[in-house]
Amino acid sequence: MADTIVELDGVEKDYTSGDGVLTVLKRVNLNIERGEFVGIVGASGSGKTTLMNILGCLDKPTRGRYVLDGEDVSVLDDDRLSRVRNKSIGFVFQSFNLITQFSVLENVEVPLFYARLSRRERRERALAVIESVGLSHRLSHQPAQLSGGECQRVAIARALVTEPALLLTDEPTGNLDSKNGAEVLRLFYELHASGRTLIMVTHNPEIARRLPRVVEMKDGCLGEQQREGIFA
Amino acid sequence: MLGVRNLRRNKLRSFLTMLGMIFGVGSVIAMLAVGAGARAEILARISELGVQNIIVNSVKPPEESKPKSTNRRWIERYGLTFKDREIIEKTCQGVERILPVNVVRQRLWYQSHGIDCSVLGVEPEHLRTFGLTVRQGRTFNEIDESQGTKVCIVRPSLVRELETLADPVGLSVRIGNEPFRIVGVLDDARFSSHTKKALAIDGQHQEVYIPYSTSMRDFGTVTILRRSGSEERSEVELDQMVVRASSADAVAPTARVVGAVLARFHAKQDYEIVVPLELLRQKEQTQAVFNVVMVLIAAISLLVGGIGIANIMLATITERTKEIGIRRAMGARRSDILLQFLTETAAIGVVGGLFGCLFGLGAIWALVHVAGWQAVVAWSSFALALSISVAVAILSGIYPARRAALMDPIRALRFE
Repeated sequence: MADTIVELDGVEKDYTSGDGVLTVLKRVNLNIERGEFVGIVGASGSGKTTLMNILGCLDKPTRGRYVLDGEDVSVLDDDRLSRVRNKSIGFVFQSFNLITQFSVLENVEVPLFYARLSRRERRERALAVIESVGLSHRLSHQPAQLSGGECQRVAIARALVTEPALLLTDEPTGNLDSKNGAEVLRLFYELHASGRTLIMVTHNPEIARRLPRVVEMKDGCLGEQQREGIFA
Repeated sequence: MLGVRNLRRNKLRSFLTMLGMIFGVGSVIAMLAVGAGARAEILARISELGVQNIIVNSVKPPEESKPKSTNRRWIERYGLTFKDREIIEKTCQGVERILPVNVVRQRLWYQSHGIDCSVLGVEPEHLRTFGLTVRQGRTFNEIDESQGTKVCIVRPSLVRELETLADPVGLSVRIGNEPFRIVGVLDDARFSSHTKKALAIDGQHQEVYIPYSTSMRDFGTVTILRRSGSEERSEVELDQMVVRASSADAVAPTARVVGAVLARFHAKQDYEIVVPLELLRQKEQTQAVFNVVMVLIAAISLLVGGIGIANIMLATITERTKEIGIRRAMGARRSDILLQFLTETAAIGVVGGLFGCLFGLGAIWALVHVAGWQAVVAWSSFALALSISVAVAILSGIYPARRAALMDPIRALRFE
């Protein structure tokens, strides 16, 4: 079943700074099929973050086309992009980005609130997802009362609760110790195994090596890593 | 999911933010209540005097215009004359009726007990006009007037001064040297000092009412004041006349005509014209000045309150930049963020408005109990004040909320 979730076609991104235009993404082409688990690596300043922002519909390409789950999102306005983020994308950030004054349950409910679901439906779906990441005993805790690993599992639950087509994770283990990091990674492998599409930005070569597919950003250009060539 | 709980988390800050609104709303409510109170007070006074009435009193002209005389038989004549009454009745179209009043100063005797009294000779209509109802006995009737019966109506306070256990109605007394019978006791409700002044009732003496015809026959129009060996005689034909206009609209023109007629026939200013309706107008003008000041205070408080809210909201939004970024990443549209912060400011408006209502009630209580002002609290003023407060809060929230909504989600997410 080869249906394409992400299709970047000649995507470029310009930033205008004081002394001219800086092109941080140059003719980026990328196809990701449903069920793939793709790692993005690259030095800082290589345009990795910009690529992630565009993939996450937080930013729009200056040129080129981005088709996400069959919809050309490079032409959408701000409101429609918000809807795409809500419906089709789940974010997991390095620093968790939970809303500190909300409980675990409320944090997971936030995307459903913006999906205009009823209070009851929000609760039911949030509870189910929280259970799947094993945090049912922490429902009314606030993020400050949780460990880093637990926070990241809450964030994963929040990313999954809308059943998005694409899960975007940015250094998800960067703020975790090795044990919690391994736990979180195991969750991602499970999600991959259950057929979800994941993109993970990582610096960690150990993690990158274990991913089925890795692409590399270098000076704004994207290239496929030939692992057989490197790691054989 | 929206921002209301944030107010609860920062109780002190929220309260300080609301202070301006509290004072603003409080003064709006106090202003409305005090304004309504003053209006009610004026209306009560006016209704005591009668909206359609014009009261003309005879007054003693200023001392210096009095000719020096050593003649013991000298009688000073001043004030309104029967002729004045006749002319006014004939020439003024708006006049429905003129009620004459003859006032004499006499002593009322009961057995060996004497009390100084202002004895007012009035027509039966006079008692009705000024709401003088009897609680015991009867009022005057047309027979009293036409026959000049020697009956009187007194205040309950006078009955108390008589120190008798007997039923006051039917009691025989003497006024001056004339025998009178008390036929009625008035209700205890006293005139306000304002009304007394307008009706030229001497506050230091008891008022006793007798029929006008009786008064004219038995006491006449000459008053003799004996003091330290000398005698002062004065003659006032009409001590007072109550001119009733045919309608409230006719009051002002009638008062002007009456004034013009009297000015023509009186060289000295020996009369005064009291127009209750005019008093109302004057009072309302004073009230209007007061209202402007109060509106200004309220407006400034609300303005400062609004600026305070805008200021705190701007700080809140900077503080919660990350949260805004997270919400945007989770799919919140700009309008969702806008709505969230407007809801928050509206909540400040509602809560601040409610506290303001309490503050207003406190202010009203203080004005009534400490300063002795009159206030009428209308519940609609609370609705008005509350909606003003919510409106001001939302207005001052618009700019900060828009700033939050227009934030770049990428930068907001990276904000630490």
